[in-house]
Amino acid sequence: MPAPQATAVAPPPRPLRPLRDAVREERRRIAISASGAVGHQTCEALVPVVIGATVDRAIAPGDTGALVLWIGLLLLLFVALTLAYRTQLTAGERAIEHTQHRMRMRLTRRALDPVGLDPAGAPDDVAGSTGALVSVAGTDARTAALGIEGVVVALGAVAAIGVSAIVLLTISLPLGLLVLLGAPPVVLLLHRVAVPLEARSEEQQARAADASAVATDLLTGIRVLKGLGAEAAAERRYRDASQSARRASLAAAVPDNVLAGLNVVIGGAFLTVVAYVGGRLALDGTISIGDLIAAVGLTQFLLGPLQRIGWALGLLAQARGSARRVAALLEIPPAVRGGTTPLPEDRPGALRIEGVGLRPDGTPATTGLWIDVAPGDHVGVVVPDAAEAARLLDVLARRRAPDCGSVRVEDVPLDGLAVADARRLLLVSDHDADLFDGTVGENLTADAVPPSAEVLAASGVDEVLAVLPAGLEAAVGERGSRLSGGQRQRVALARALAADPPVLVLHDPTTAVDAVTEQRIATGISRVRRGRTTVLVTTSPSLLAACDRVVLVVDGRIVADDVHDRLAADHGTYREAVLR
Amino acid sequence: MSGRLLLPTASPRETRRAIGRLVRPRRGLAVAALGLLVAAAAAGLLVPPLLGRLVDVTIDRGTVSELTAPAVLLGAAAVTQGLLTAVGGLLLARLGEALLAELRERVVARSLELPLEELDGAGAGDVLSRVSGDVAVVSQAIRTVLPAVATAGFTVALTVGGLVLLDWRLAVAALAAVPIQVVGLRWYLRTVVPIYRRERVVQGERTQQLVDSVSGARTVRALGLHEDREARVRASSERGRDVALEGVLRLRGFLHAVNGAELVGLASVLVVGFLLVRADALTVGAATAGALYFHRAFDPVGELLMVFDDLQEAMTALARMVGVASLPETARDGAETEDAHRHHGPVDVDVLALRHDYGGSPVLHGVDVRIAAGEHVALIGTTGAGKTTFAKIVAGVLEPSAGDVRIGGTALGDLGPGELRRTVALVAQEPHVFAGTLADDLRLVAPGAPDDELWDALRHVGADGWVRELPDGLGTRVGEGGLRLSATRVQHLALARIVLRDVPVVLLDEATAEAGSAGARILEDAALRALRGRTSVVVAHRLTQAATADRVLVMDRGEIVEDGHHDELVAAGGRYADLWLAWTGAGRDAPAG
Repeated sequence: MPAPQATAVAPPPRPLRPLRDAVREERRRIAISASGAVGHQTCEALVPVVIGATVDRAIAPGDTGALVLWIGLLLLLFVALTLAYRTQLTAGERAIEHTQHRMRMRLTRRALDPVGLDPAGAPDDVAGSTGALVSVAGTDARTAALGIEGVVVALGAVAAIGVSAIVLLTISLPLGLLVLLGAPPVVLLLHRVAVPLEARSEEQQARAADASAVATDLLTGIRVLKGLGAEAAAERRYRDASQSARRASLAAAVPDNVLAGLNVVIGGAFLTVVAYVGGRLALDGTISIGDLIAAVGLTQFLLGPLQRIGWALGLLAQARGSARRVAALLEIPPAVRGGTTPLPEDRPGALRIEGVGLRPDGTPATTGLWIDVAPGDHVGVVVPDAAEAARLLDVLARRRAPDCGSVRVEDVPLDGLAVADARRLLLVSDHDADLFDGTVGENLTADAVPPSAEVLAASGVDEVLAVLPAGLEAAVGERGSRLSGGQRQRVALARALAADPPVLVLHDPTTAVDAVTEQRIATGISRVRRGRTTVLVTTSPSLLAACDRVVLVVDGRIVADDVHDRLAADHGTYREAVLR
Repeated sequence: MSGRLLLPTASPRETRRAIGRLVRPRRGLAVAALGLLVAAAAAGLLVPPLLGRLVDVTIDRGTVSELTAPAVLLGAAAVTQGLLTAVGGLLLARLGEALLAELRERVVARSLELPLEELDGAGAGDVLSRVSGDVAVVSQAIRTVLPAVATAGFTVALTVGGLVLLDWRLAVAALAAVPIQVVGLRWYLRTVVPIYRRERVVQGERTQQLVDSVSGARTVRALGLHEDREARVRASSERGRDVALEGVLRLRGFLHAVNGAELVGLASVLVVGFLLVRADALTVGAATAGALYFHRAFDPVGELLMVFDDLQEAMTALARMVGVASLPETARDGAETEDAHRHHGPVDVDVLALRHDYGGSPVLHGVDVRIAAGEHVALIGTTGAGKTTFAKIVAGVLEPSAGDVRIGGTALGDLGPGELRRTVALVAQEPHVFAGTLADDLRLVAPGAPDDELWDALRHVGADGWVRELPDGLGTRVGEGGLRLSATRVQHLALARIVLRDVPVVLLDEATAEAGSAGARILEDAALRALRGRTSVVVAHRLTQAATADRVLVMDRGEIVEDGHHDELVAAGGRYADLWLAWTGAGRDAPAG
């Protein structure tokens, strides 16, 4: 469970809000669908009544005219039945599909919003992980929308029970009361038995699904397995997972089948009682044979709607759970807040870092990091402590607000600008920047500016293109998975260079490329960014050697500020960090 | 997708045979399950005639005591049917799950044995979709479709049988529904099912768009791409919505057919009942029973028609599973008993006239090199120079187009798969942490190793410190769904696996890439320790790795262009020397190697 301060940050959960909004937005379609469901179920309930009447009025007395009449009525009943079902289905599905689409788009917009998601404000099951976000926007949006179907089906079932009740009561008061008073306890009993059984079944099914995760995991790591000859061990591991999945599935089958059997027994017992009582009433002459058949038929029929109510309640419970996750994601507080300062007209690229604290324990602004970068300068920043480097980059990229101090570009504090504007002034390109499914060309022009030949050469992408038969048209695969790490990194670098921001911060842009290419890239960056402010957060000597000056940051402060050559020759800590 | 179809799919006949082979050892169970379900359906079908009997008693003005027997039998039939349904269903589940487990284990086993070349590219997706997607479809079918088909199928069959027992003419009347059902089903399969298939494809694309955009959210924000990405997600979500709605529109035709069949069948039974009663060929009760029979079969028939598509889909998935499961099994030569064969000291590696090309484009042109026992070699070169291909071939995971690799004098091809794995190991570019506990991950390469041995290996590469600090030490859950390890730690684990594997020859392919520069140095130390006492080739990314190696090989366009110790190559003033000068800044005094 979260610590007290975590709950204080988290907003009060309003689980039903997305569901309520959805119902309000779609109320017309939902109403139409529900009336269709009511109509359809009413007709279904009347089918056994018509069967009974046909036997009683036509078959028993052998009356041909009555037969034609009742078969004609049966035909009309079925026309009404099928049209009502059509209405229920069409309107209901429209409401569900439109709702889930709207909900999904709301979630996507929130997930991609420039202000970001504050991980501290996210509840455990929707916390920042990609998988969780995708599953909320994909699956939960759908499950929550299916709550609409739950409402519609429940209304239809209630209508069916109501119509049956009225018919039964008109046939005979005692028989009607028997069914009406007997049905609710039967439903309740079934529901009471079903809920824990279904819960157990679902739990076991979830465990059974694990085996598939194990297989996916092993085959994703197959190169590792092959390299080490661990295929046999992997096979054994999967066999264990598969067998425990089999046991779990069987354990789930027990409650499933017990429930199925119970349904049959309880329904049958109920039918028996109604048939016996109805038979006695018919013998007395209190009710007709047609009434008896209708009563028996209705009782048989009633089990359907009764079970559907339980099913609809289950659907609603699931929808509620999903709606809670949807609401929780939508209400995660932003990671940073933007201001309203307009973007400066003149953007030479003057960067000032003023007392930004990099130590996790917090540093007073006076002792924080102070760096002044003149427009057009290329500055290398060496931060041997990875955590400090990450914090600096997060602050520069506006992924988090600085604990103290501030960052100014063109003398404007970044947090005074709209978040997207701040990133237009100062772009941070990570060493593991993501590519998107599509072609190399599409990824390079992500920012609408196609890179020049100069940029392609500077980033080493020209060599990547030379290797790929399809060149710019080559598909990169999901998240760039068809390219090697080095190829991905170069494409991302070219993309950042093409964006051409006033201040460009590159974090370790060459960690995945070979030494030969790295050297080319180092000179390429200097050439392409000449006269444009560029900060290289790295420990690569090739890149640092190409900078105008290099600062060394230890314990959140600058301890050396000089050119690479002199630092490499004279400064012990620097040599240790960069050359070793 | 490239449309490269890689893995075989079984024909319907092969699939049936494979299922037959799986069922054969479990024949008794199969017979019992089906027998019980038939009996359950039969018990259920006693209900309409018993109700008919009640009707006849009232028409004949019988006594109250005459009602008792049919009523008691009704109750008994219900209890019997319930019991048989539960037990039969359970046995059916037991049978289905056992078949499924055996089949999926074979699919995974054969997939793990596939050669790496086949897994590269489009093949990996195909394999993954078979071991997860297809298995999921089939297991879902076993849970829902199989029982539905079994019970509904028997109910329908026995309904017809029950009608025949009442009067064969009633059965014929009921069959009037069949032509409409057939037409409806054909419409469904031809019109609705393709839309459902398309819907699943579109949903997959939508998920793909979501994953792509959300997992790249950092980059999306950095470059201000949110509007573009949102538009893409919107487009795919709208496509999903529209296809789903189209499916519903088409489904309506099918539902009208189902209802129409119910109407026609029911009306026919009533009319024929009327005629037979009037001709004194049938009692009113029997006619009632006939109508109730037919009414009772509405739901099972509807269900049967609705699961038809799932059934078809499950059969397709099954054919894909059987296709993989039927691949020939790779011979094993005791790869499981590696503990008895721990190596004794390093061995040398000879590479002779090695050539390789991928689909016509040459990658290696005649590489000859001899690596002495215990030598540490660094391999340097640009991307595309052939370093990774070289490493894969020497490690025996890739078959060369031509040429020879000898380890300790024996050609790779002459080592059996088990012996090969006891001799040489490759740490590949793509790191992976297996889901499960950290100890589970390590035990993949050393099955049954005690904790002490795991700790020794971790200590050897200097990873014991951070492992000890994890919440549950070796028992900490890592990988998918567990604790996310940094790139440095992932590689650290990869090196610990090498120590556990304890082979004389190790190839390390850009093991330090992407770890960031700070992590790289920790890993270089760890690699040095892990490789001590082994013959090793490191595809070096940082030149400091080359400087500390016994020997440096510089590769370019599939050939080795420089070969020698760091100092010699620097002194020779060639390609490597240029690199080194650039790397160390102005080429001031080189760090101690």
